[in-house]
Amino acid sequence: MSYVDRSALVTDARNAAGLLGGGIATLATGAFIAGWATLLQWLDLSGSYAGFSLSTWFGGALLVLGVGLALAALGTRAGFLETTPDDGAGLLVAVVFGLLWGAVGLLLTGALIDGAGAWIGALVGSIVGLALALGPREDFGSTLPPAAFLGLVGALLYTDFIGRDFVFDPGWTAAIFPGAAIVPGLVIFGSLLAVWSGGKVAAGFGPQGRQRGIYYLIGLAIASMLGVLALLIGFIIVEGLDVLLTGASLFGGSLRIPGLGFSLPVPQLPFLTNVTGGLYVEVPGVLPAAIGTLWLVFGAILLAVPTGVGAAIFLTEYAEQGRFTQVVEVATNGLWSTPSIVFGLFGLAFLVPRISGGNSIVVGQLVLGFMLLPLVVITSREAILAVPDGYRDASAALGVSRWETIKSVVVPAAMPGVITGVILGVGRIAGETAPLLLVFGGPPYPSSTPNVLGSFALSTRPPFITNEALLEPASALPYQLYSSITAGVFPKEIFTDTEFGWGTALVLLLVVIGLYAIGVLSRLYFRKKLHHE
Amino acid sequence: MHAVGIGSTVLTFGLFMVGSDWTILPFLVLLATVGFGWRYYQSELAKGLTLLTTVATVVVLTLIIGFLLLRSMPAVRHMGLDLLTRTSGPLWSSNQGGVYALTPMMVGTALTTIIATAIATPFGIAGAVFISEIAPRRVREVVKPGIELMAGIPSITYGFIGLTIVNAYFFDAFRTPTIGSYFAAGIMIGLMALPTVVTVAEDALSAVPDEMRNGSLAMGSTEWQTTKSVTIPAALSGISAGVLLGVGRAMGETMAATVMLSHTKGFPAPPFDVFSGYGETLTTVIAFEGGNASGIHLSALFAAGVVLFSMVMLLSIGSQYVEWRMHRKLGGEQ
Repeated sequence: MSYVDRSALVTDARNAAGLLGGGIATLATGAFIAGWATLLQWLDLSGSYAGFSLSTWFGGALLVLGVGLALAALGTRAGFLETTPDDGAGLLVAVVFGLLWGAVGLLLTGALIDGAGAWIGALVGSIVGLALALGPREDFGSTLPPAAFLGLVGALLYTDFIGRDFVFDPGWTAAIFPGAAIVPGLVIFGSLLAVWSGGKVAAGFGPQGRQRGIYYLIGLAIASMLGVLALLIGFIIVEGLDVLLTGASLFGGSLRIPGLGFSLPVPQLPFLTNVTGGLYVEVPGVLPAAIGTLWLVFGAILLAVPTGVGAAIFLTEYAEQGRFTQVVEVATNGLWSTPSIVFGLFGLAFLVPRISGGNSIVVGQLVLGFMLLPLVVITSREAILAVPDGYRDASAALGVSRWETIKSVVVPAAMPGVITGVILGVGRIAGETAPLLLVFGGPPYPSSTPNVLGSFALSTRPPFITNEALLEPASALPYQLYSSITAGVFPKEIFTDTEFGWGTALVLLLVVIGLYAIGVLSRLYFRKKLHHE
Repeated sequence: MHAVGIGSTVLTFGLFMVGSDWTILPFLVLLATVGFGWRYYQSELAKGLTLLTTVATVVVLTLIIGFLLLRSMPAVRHMGLDLLTRTSGPLWSSNQGGVYALTPMMVGTALTTIIATAIATPFGIAGAVFISEIAPRRVREVVKPGIELMAGIPSITYGFIGLTIVNAYFFDAFRTPTIGSYFAAGIMIGLMALPTVVTVAEDALSAVPDEMRNGSLAMGSTEWQTTKSVTIPAALSGISAGVLLGVGRAMGETMAATVMLSHTKGFPAPPFDVFSGYGETLTTVIAFEGGNASGIHLSALFAAGVVLFSMVMLLSIGSQYVEWRMHRKLGGEQ
């Protein structure tokens, strides 16, 4: 297969069509990136770049793209470009351009005349778009409709008819659509069309052209997706880092060594090690929330992992495939897709009155445990199913009982998968907020950490062993972030609510990303090890 | 032995249900039985215990359904069918003995879900096709964990970014009547539902046997023709399962919407005005008011939970059915 891919039969020769199409696609990619940068307000639409305003550049670029595509169509027809177009551009393409030109017709006629006329414009536009894409051969059908669109939009932008001060104010909403958003939007959309069409030209239309066009298009879509992800993470890091590092130093802290009479310099990070409220705190921190999250996760694991792994073992090793396993499977998947807030309601109705009578750590642990449970069942089940039957057979052939086989062969072999699944699941519940609002959350700015270990007490009345701290509300990182969003004024002057929120978001993100990184890496590691054997 | 084990389990559960302090006693008996059994009848006990955990999983779901229905009964009795159909004011108020209609929230959930789906579906499918069919191995090993990471970012973080950046942008540039609109929230929710669609659809695409692809490639089709006409149709049910799950995620998404929306209940006019001053969905009303509601009000929130839960459960079962059909289809052709 790989031989075929690389032979000259399939790759295009460096011909004129390749150059023209490649040029169009490259220019369009540039416009696409610049469009995003403008939408994100990194570039100023009315700013002057090399003597022209940015919207003039955009208009010019779209015009050039449109003219280039028209040239490609004419060049193909005149025989200058070596291409192999199909008979038609295809129904899907025609529908897309029919809709696009219908919208253009609607807006243009709507701008000129009011009322029923606009719908005639839409009808005419969509028929023209449909016919233009469907009627002629592929070399016209998939270049001329986008070329015309690019030409029109390019002219509107170039003449500054649609510019920074342009405002589209439709009647159906109170909101307006400003030029500062419309222009980059049009540029992004237009450049996507041009990339697709340019890719087709570059590979000379036909099946090859379609592949090239759609691959370029998908590539740009994926790039924007990953770009958004990077932006999200980048925003949090940039905004949160300053807060996180407030008062931090490498050797500023001191750790007294008991009995020796001197102290060692240690790194200090007050944002992580200080409480949030309280009178004598200079730099408020997220320690109570971090400890709260730790306890939540600990309790949830304690509940969910034994239960989930046990259920997975029963389903794969003991149960006959039938009605019962089917019911369990539907129930597990149902639990997995149950919205988190519904788990919160359940905790509120079922657990709170029976356990603590109010918001408390232990109810939070149980609710998060229930949320983790289906994920543990699903991933453990997959891991146990992936253990080769040979292992079981070999063990059985030695006369080992079924339970001994499970205990000493199947479960150890499935352990890596189970652990990975648990880590990924914990990453999910560590950031869960919604149920905590209903069953867990305490004061927005806690001044002490929950003292769970020190609060166990025995009594003579049932339930004989009690723990006050577990029955108290507390804070957790995601809950802390919600509190600082909603609670109003931050009690300390050093941060505003938003700044404290960014700091908390960064800590939360680091925790979750850390868990995910460990989970993904362990999966890669175990997979490699498995393939090695 | 069996009787003691089963009896103590049932008794523990029963006493816990009625909220008795004595729950601890049968629980201790259960622990003792398990300890004794572990010492002398380990293999039998193991089977029993794993069965117990399996049953517990089902019981949790049953309890969730049961308690949601139970607690929503007062609101249903109080409001009747108006709970789901009332369209004239007052829609949600504690005056006049309490009027609680879920209609505006259902409209809100529908609007945000539609916007989110419109974003998550095309990008999600494109992402799945890219990872499974187009990307070279090395790119795939970067992109796939990246998208999984996107699923791991806590929803409250998305909400915080949405509140401070996206909401502010739309208020500033688009002059929305309030800070926060269905449109802005829908965009963020779409971003959050995206990884679900990608992961499930990608699984479905990778599950298509290579023989089918190779057969098509051997006929001289290009890779895209193979993807479009062989792989995607074969995986179509898995892909639609992914989309359904993504819709479910979007519907149940709580925190981002809670911090981004304005919590004003009403019907936008026209209904598709996603920039209107109204902003409340089924999830946000529970999260926002659940902390200090009581009586009929709280019961109405449980009713919102029931509506939400049944919608999501329908989607979940639908997607499972679709996937089950796909397995049967692909399995049958081998």
